[in-house]
Amino acid sequence: MTRIAAALAVLLLQAAALPARALSAAEALAKVRVLDERTHNNGDFTGLCYLESKEKDKDDVVRELVYYRRSEGQRLLMLFTRPKAEAGKGYLRIEKNLWLYDPSTGKWERRTERERIGGSDSRRGDFDESRLAEEFDVKWEADEKLGAYATHRLLLTAKEGVDVAYPTVRLWLDAATGNLLKRQDLALSGRLMRTALYPRWKKVWSESKKGDVWYPEQIYLYDEIEKANSTMVIIKQVDLRPLDANMFTKAWLEAKSR
Amino acid sequence: MAPSLGPARILLRIAFRNLFAGRAKTLIIGAILLLGTALVVAGSSLVESVDRGMRSSIQGSLGGHLQVYDDRSKDELALYGGMGREPQLEPIIDFSRVKEVLSRVPNVKRVIPMGIDQAMVATGNQIDVALEKVRADVRRIEAGERDDDLLRHYQAHKAHVRRMVTLLRDELRAARVLADDQLLQDRKQANEDLARAAAPAFWDGFERDRLGNLEFLENRIAPQGMEGGMTIVRYVGTDLDAFLEAFDRAYVVEGQRVPKGRRGILLGKWYAEEYLKLKTARRLDKIKDARDFQRRTIAGDEEVARWVKENTTQVKEILYQLDPIQAEEAAARLRRALPSEERELPKLLVQLLSTTDQDFDRKYAIFYDQLAPLLQLYSIRVGDTITIKAPARSGYFNAVNVKVYGFVHFRGLEKSRLAGVMSLLDLMSWRDLYGYLSPEQTEEIRHLKQVAGAQAVPRERAEAELFGGGGAAVESQRASRIDEAAVLARIARPAKAEDLSARVYSQLEIDRGVVLNAALILDDPSRLAETARAVDRAQRAAGLHLKVVDWQKASGVVGQSVSLFRIVLYTAVLIIFAVALVIINNAMVMATLQRVREIGTLRAIGAQRRFVTGMLLVETMAVSLFFGALGAGLGALAVWIIRAAGGIPAGNDQLYFFFSGPALLPTLGTTSVAVSMGIVLLVSVLSGFYPAIIAMRVTPVEAMAADD
Repeated sequence: MTRIAAALAVLLLQAAALPARALSAAEALAKVRVLDERTHNNGDFTGLCYLESKEKDKDDVVRELVYYRRSEGQRLLMLFTRPKAEAGKGYLRIEKNLWLYDPSTGKWERRTERERIGGSDSRRGDFDESRLAEEFDVKWEADEKLGAYATHRLLLTAKEGVDVAYPTVRLWLDAATGNLLKRQDLALSGRLMRTALYPRWKKVWSESKKGDVWYPEQIYLYDEIEKANSTMVIIKQVDLRPLDANMFTKAWLEAKSR
Repeated sequence: MAPSLGPARILLRIAFRNLFAGRAKTLIIGAILLLGTALVVAGSSLVESVDRGMRSSIQGSLGGHLQVYDDRSKDELALYGGMGREPQLEPIIDFSRVKEVLSRVPNVKRVIPMGIDQAMVATGNQIDVALEKVRADVRRIEAGERDDDLLRHYQAHKAHVRRMVTLLRDELRAARVLADDQLLQDRKQANEDLARAAAPAFWDGFERDRLGNLEFLENRIAPQGMEGGMTIVRYVGTDLDAFLEAFDRAYVVEGQRVPKGRRGILLGKWYAEEYLKLKTARRLDKIKDARDFQRRTIAGDEEVARWVKENTTQVKEILYQLDPIQAEEAAARLRRALPSEERELPKLLVQLLSTTDQDFDRKYAIFYDQLAPLLQLYSIRVGDTITIKAPARSGYFNAVNVKVYGFVHFRGLEKSRLAGVMSLLDLMSWRDLYGYLSPEQTEEIRHLKQVAGAQAVPRERAEAELFGGGGAAVESQRASRIDEAAVLARIARPAKAEDLSARVYSQLEIDRGVVLNAALILDDPSRLAETARAVDRAQRAAGLHLKVVDWQKASGVVGQSVSLFRIVLYTAVLIIFAVALVIINNAMVMATLQRVREIGTLRAIGAQRRFVTGMLLVETMAVSLFFGALGAGLGALAVWIIRAAGGIPAGNDQLYFFFSGPALLPTLGTTSVAVSMGIVLLVSVLSGFYPAIIAMRVTPVEAMAADD
């Protein structure tokens, strides 16, 4: 018995000492496709969200917002509901245009993919369906531990001509479940700009998709340039019922927030 | 009297005889002293004049005599901006209390509230701006309005957009000739969109789905003409009436004052010229300025020639401004005025803007007389309502709509960037932009945080805390039903921006609230230091936590520049006189050693040591006084010549501010003359002191024994 245990121990030690097996490009891409597929709803999606952002020498930014997504046309509408002073402000994504609306001025303003949503460290992509496989080329970098989790570390490089917030992204996927746990956003120079942690994921059954839609219940965002800045996003509720057909238009938001 | 005058006369005669005997030495010493004194007189007169000019510029435009701000502020007040950013000042929560306490201090005439910041004025690209006008019309039409004026404007705005789309299509069609296949493939959708928008069918059917067609133009067409963007405006939020009364240099050059108690902005005229004017017109102005005032020519100056070239290659901004009827009119006017047979407006514009030194003045006049009346020369006009966006205390942006009531200039500082870049904004709008959280708002945020119950995780512990436990990181959950009616009820806004612009605020409302600093205007500015102490005592007694600074300190780096000039001048003077001291000293030592026999003889015939010392000191002082006076005269002459020649021209906008006008007209200060003569005498006494000691020690015996 002792011999068998010793032999097993030796085998285990040998196995542990083996180098991690590299994922092929196709396998790495497949992992990212799974990630995209999980957040995709093939219908409408509403999320109620709490956002808290801390910045050096500034008052905390605290917002409550509702965001609406429609898979068809990749449409997204984010609408701030609290505090009162911010209520009615919103972002609307139509195709490649990101618009910001301020009801106190009645004006629409064209914004870029790098827009800091509501002044926080979050970006439009943090609230949208994941389209990583479509926007990036994927490469396996390493297998490594992240806390108690065994993870695959993947390097994503933006495809030419695609407008994304950051041209290079590094992902840590839970090797067991494929969940995204950590993401690093890097500038073209390779400088680390932002780290995002996704400790908890939830999934809800979607009738339109006939499958589960996954969403991160919490996102912790850390600014890597101004180290004192961080943002916490909590998705409190999701609703998958179909939305008003005209919801993703300027006219709808104007009409509602006046 | 006679016995006492006798030795003095002898002393002077000997001294002057010696000076004439050693002419070369006397002239060298004299020249150094002359140069030094002339420099002190002319230099300090110039510095005093700059000091006066800057004092006048700062006090009359923004600084007042004293400034107060919260003494717990992280940065120091810098009215003209800090190192690349606005200083971070703690807010003064209730200005009315500050006004009440400080107004009671003797010699304080006025207390003016202020908050200085920078904001963005979004201009968008030109197609976005034009579409925004159509959208505003469509909103009213969709709401049921049908008045003739609105419909006429709507048709004109639509025609303008249609023309822009056509121009954009033509421009991109020309660019397509140069594009490779891949690019053409990538742009296939964009080209199809553009073709659709330029087609008559699109405009014929526009009314069937106004909003849908607008969104098509906004999302598919406008991004193709992406340019423009935003400008930065620097402003002081203030009680506008009190400000214009207190700062006599500020005057409204176009438009009118903001009506009392209303929201509004007076844009800096210099800012408008530099940042809001049509680029072609601005370049024409710069060419004219360069030719008329800087003696530069198109043919002989690379930069001026470049402006001409830019004008001829960038006619698009003019073409985009004109609707079809205006474009026809512009072409007809140019054909008559140039004159030309050319039919196409773009080519006519190129003919107009291809200026040479020979025809510039004629074409400049054609531009302003014939073309400018059809154009919007400034992207913001008096009467427009503009949206300005500034980073609030949270770091994110707040935006307000304010009406532009006019353009403001600062008298005598019309070309100064430091003064002219500043716009004047009403205090209520400034407070909205500043985003100070009222106690109610702070409580609302505290409540939101409490309800959310979320705990921030420090960066350094984040991975260990969030991923240390392992286990399943995913849970199944049932979808909720988000109450959309409740959500929409939260975003419904009872008050519209238009209501705020019509509201008249009372003096109490203007005074009660946040400001960042306040300017104090004194009855008697000569009692500035004494009043500053009294203000400080008063604010301490009232527990206001204020820091009191004079205008010079309040103006930050700008205010310190006079001190810097003064340091540079006095360092130069110090070096010159230190050199003079050494040279005079050496010359006098040499002269003394050469005259040992003479001194010994004088001593042998009864001259006292005091007499010998006096003789040498009189020699140096006579040289100093003579050449010092000559140098002071020369310095005074230089000052007079500079004045008579019209002063030193302010070659750039910063000098315009320092000189408080287009040129520095120095005045001769009596202090300058007195100081220079004092320095010269001091140097002469110090430099003559050591040779005098040597001479004093010479005994007749040593003198007799010494060789020549």
